[in-house]
Amino acid sequence: MKIAVCIKRVPDSETRVKIASDGKSLDEAGVKFILNPYDEFAVEEALRRKETAGSGEVVVIALGPAAAQETIRTALAMGADRGILLQSDGIPTDGLEVANALAAELKGAGFDLILFGKMAIDDYNHQVGPMVAELLELPCVTTVAHLEIDGAKGVAEREIEGGVEVVEFPLPAVLTTDKGLNEPRYPALKGIMAAKKKPLDVKPATLRPGALEIVALTPPPERKQGKIVGEGGAAVPELVRLLREEAKVL
Amino acid sequence: MVEGAGSGEPFVPARYQPPLPVDRLILKDGAEGAGDRMELDVLIVGAGPAGLACAIELARLAQHDGRDLNIGVLEKAEALGEHCLSGAVVNPRAFRELFPDLKDADFPLRGPVTKERVAFLTSRRAFTLPTPPTMHNAGNYVASLCEIVRWLGERAVALGVNLFTGFPAASLLVNERRVVGVRTAATGLDREGRPLSNYMAPNDLTAKVTALAEGTRGTLSQGWLEWQAVTSENPQIFALGVKEIWETKRPLHTIVHTLGWPVPPDAFGGSFMYPLEPNLVALGIVVGLDYRDAGLDVHELLQRMKLHPLFRQYVEGGELVEWGAKTIPEGGYYSVPARRSGDGVVILGDSAGLVDVPSLKGIHYAMQSGMLAARAIHAGLGAGDTSAARLAEYDRSVDASFIMKDLYRTRNMRLAFKDGFYAGGFQAALMTLTGGRVPGGKIAMEADADVPRQLTPGSRPGSVPTPDGKLTLSKVDGVFKSGNATRDTIPVHLVVGKDVPAAVAEFYARMCPAGVYEVAQGALRVNAPNCVDCKATDVLGPRWTPREGGSGPKYKRM
Amino acid sequence: MSHVLAVLEPRDGALRKVSHEVVTGARRLADALGGSVEALILAAGAVQGADQVGRFGADKVITLTNAAFGRYAPEGYARAIAERVKRGAYGAVVFAASATGKDLAPRVAARLGRPLAQDVTDFSVDGGAVTVIRPVYAGKALLKLKITGAPAVISLRPSVFTPVERPKGGAQETAAVAGSAGRVVVKQIKAAEAGTLDVAEAPIIVSGGRGLKEPANFKVLEELAAAFAGRAAVGASRAVVDAGWRPHADQVGQTGKTVSPTLYVAVGISGAIQHLAGMRTSKVIVAINKDKDAPIFKVADYGIVGDLFEVVPKLTEAIKKLHG
Repeated sequence: MKIAVCIKRVPDSETRVKIASDGKSLDEAGVKFILNPYDEFAVEEALRRKETAGSGEVVVIALGPAAAQETIRTALAMGADRGILLQSDGIPTDGLEVANALAAELKGAGFDLILFGKMAIDDYNHQVGPMVAELLELPCVTTVAHLEIDGAKGVAEREIEGGVEVVEFPLPAVLTTDKGLNEPRYPALKGIMAAKKKPLDVKPATLRPGALEIVALTPPPERKQGKIVGEGGAAVPELVRLLREEAKVL
Repeated sequence: MVEGAGSGEPFVPARYQPPLPVDRLILKDGAEGAGDRMELDVLIVGAGPAGLACAIELARLAQHDGRDLNIGVLEKAEALGEHCLSGAVVNPRAFRELFPDLKDADFPLRGPVTKERVAFLTSRRAFTLPTPPTMHNAGNYVASLCEIVRWLGERAVALGVNLFTGFPAASLLVNERRVVGVRTAATGLDREGRPLSNYMAPNDLTAKVTALAEGTRGTLSQGWLEWQAVTSENPQIFALGVKEIWETKRPLHTIVHTLGWPVPPDAFGGSFMYPLEPNLVALGIVVGLDYRDAGLDVHELLQRMKLHPLFRQYVEGGELVEWGAKTIPEGGYYSVPARRSGDGVVILGDSAGLVDVPSLKGIHYAMQSGMLAARAIHAGLGAGDTSAARLAEYDRSVDASFIMKDLYRTRNMRLAFKDGFYAGGFQAALMTLTGGRVPGGKIAMEADADVPRQLTPGSRPGSVPTPDGKLTLSKVDGVFKSGNATRDTIPVHLVVGKDVPAAVAEFYARMCPAGVYEVAQGALRVNAPNCVDCKATDVLGPRWTPREGGSGPKYKRM
Repeated sequence: MSHVLAVLEPRDGALRKVSHEVVTGARRLADALGGSVEALILAAGAVQGADQVGRFGADKVITLTNAAFGRYAPEGYARAIAERVKRGAYGAVVFAASATGKDLAPRVAARLGRPLAQDVTDFSVDGGAVTVIRPVYAGKALLKLKITGAPAVISLRPSVFTPVERPKGGAQETAAVAGSAGRVVVKQIKAAEAGTLDVAEAPIIVSGGRGLKEPANFKVLEELAAAFAGRAAVGASRAVVDAGWRPHADQVGQTGKTVSPTLYVAVGISGAIQHLAGMRTSKVIVAINKDKDAPIFKVADYGIVGDLFEVVPKLTEAIKKLHG
């Protein structure tokens, strides 16, 4: 089974967000970068599918700066076979441009499955996977939390409000993965050693700037000063009134 | 069961401490239980300054020979630097020696020390003291050990060193008397020790030489020393440091050290405050673990300390960025083990006690010991001989180097303080004046755990009442700020002694800066996931053992 | 004149409530752009609630029918919407950032060759260009983006654009649309497991800490949660999870979950940073604690100082009455 997994190098979610002096980006001092956690489910799924099929190849592709090679090596250490870095110091804010660059790389390569994490934990854009699918004219299911594949057909389950959608689709297809799909493996020592020798192709990314421009990155508004409504059980009616009429949550 | 230590009776911590589990730490090579097995030429345990300097020097020597050495460095933290913590003001000489082609400006150091101040504090005032000769820091640099380690790591990897982060070494593998490698800790066990779905078995790594660079109170180092019955003239003693990094509104341009308040007169310690940047300040307090008052709480002392005008002016209006804690080996010259090498093994840096307390320096000694070990290992590999006799060359070179010269000069300085600040201060002054000659002979020290403790009447109860969350914070909040996100279902890695009475449990609760220990309904509660691997517990209380890789803090610029 | 297409969300023959939010948002955007709001429904037949949409500002409500559109058909919907947009002069296309919306919007945007701003919490129009604000870095920062060109394709974060009645004509139109559902077929919707509402998904969370004193006392919180008629889950602070009183799956904060419910009620929780980090992006926070100095009160929008064993049962009663 030939599977591509598109991954992203992102700041650790524990990162304390400090805004850079340009007012538009993250101050990267002391920031730790990791493989996007949702992409880990995608890499793991690809490895399992290849292992079940008994043969095939798992290729990881990333769009990012030179340091993203380290992120690709993490996926290689998990067991992926080779990596491709589309190198660019800046990642366009416009997800469609990211999708264009990835689609150009994936086109015609004959992958049975192209996997993405459902979203990146930095931009929360939740879009590149399905956009790539549209550009490649492939079927796509997003936020897959359960997956079964039988030959050229697949059945995926995805969570929606109050339920689970059961979706059928043909292969080849693009899927984006959600938590719960699998438990990603830790890279084994041997995997880490082997990763150093696996092929990692670095090529410059051709990117258009896109139609989304960052105006500003700002901290969230300070929560307004809260109020102590009262003491003891006597305060309950007033609390309920406030929750209904002022906060409008009841 | 309350016994002997109820309301104010003295107790000796050692009585409640389980022994070092040597039978778990020393395993015969070939013992069952490992998954993968990997062979290396040299294995280094610990990616701190000592381990990485050793790796870099070795890789360079091998490159020079045109040889291909398979060097592996095991690091228990998930990423480089995450378990490293120091003040720090660094002497750049080890950097210069390891990287002769680079200039000071190229090193991962922050600003050079331009101004320095030593002050004696009372609860409200600060009296500037003349800077003791041992503390002159001209020519040194303020630095973040995390940044140093990440930088060294990059250079090591560029030289082909294999860096395995998230892999704690849990046991030494031995063949008769020779150390042949280590076994790593297992991953993915539940609280009862049963494998979860992402369970990974321990790995065995074998090598011709294993360099133990585990930092303070290294577990395998302790195990090897005990197993090989290697002693030192004095037992090793430790201090606990609790540190915070603050973004400040008011800039700081001076490095500051203080003595006196809030460290009680019957304890040894002081504080530091260094500018990583004018508005990014590292501050902390360090207290010897031989303190007498069972109610002493180093984290709490730090919280009080920040309210002192000297510190308050910086933290007020600022933001706490990180919190952390770590012990420091303080025994100096007389606590360094008689030998730090054996068949197939060497011990580097803090694990060998190579720290000079009066000048508060350890990083450049760690790096230097790493380089010296690398040279000895390289020579041994070249001669096909990594026996104790051959590796003793490492010991000889350390003894002949500035490392031991420096430690010898200040050999009694810390020890003089065992009887309290004023007696110690007087003796320390004498030592400084006479270059260590007076008082001359070794001052004997007992191990910290052997020092009796007692709850002093009027002893402050536990943490600062209601940490305000702005200037002062609770231990639990500190743990959060250390980046610790250890999974709560992890097996308990701390080995508690039997029948710990409530008063000793209370002592543990104050001792541990991370709130691992609590007294609940008169019994000891262990919140193991809180642990930030400072090792104070290993010194005074329940034994620390290696746990799943990636657990513990995630320091960024400590 | 720039029209705004509001893509509504039917399920099982009726419009989901979030559709009102979409129309409300579209109305606001249309007013700023100087255009009208066209609400769009894709379904197999007439959809309940379509005639109510005018109340929230839709000038027209268009139902496009196709036998294959009974359930969400990703490719069929995307094609139909893109075709409609291409034929008109739309300044914006608005979706809900619901599970379906977040799936559908990227497909439509890609077909149109347009960027997509997902999960928007605010927007404005400056000089004809739509500027949006969306949370990033797990809500730790807000990103302001300017969209150049038209249409602006955006999805609105649920529960932010509270429906506002701004009645417009709401003229109903129905048309059949050709085409298949596409290659990706929704076969069925399985109901979520009854009873256990996941803490991470619940719109209301009632969380307990050590103030509860014993595990059995969590019953008091379970009763409060039940009073919200299936919309609330019971969460727990790390302290009580560590003590074994509650399962790890219920933990909020630190290595438990980060939650962002509409309403978070913290009972007997002091407010350690780790817990706060887990729930600070909740829309409304209520704290009940007997210690008036507890740090949680600094973060809470509303607080009651008192004995939780007295306050919570009274609150349970009051909520029960509200839900009839």
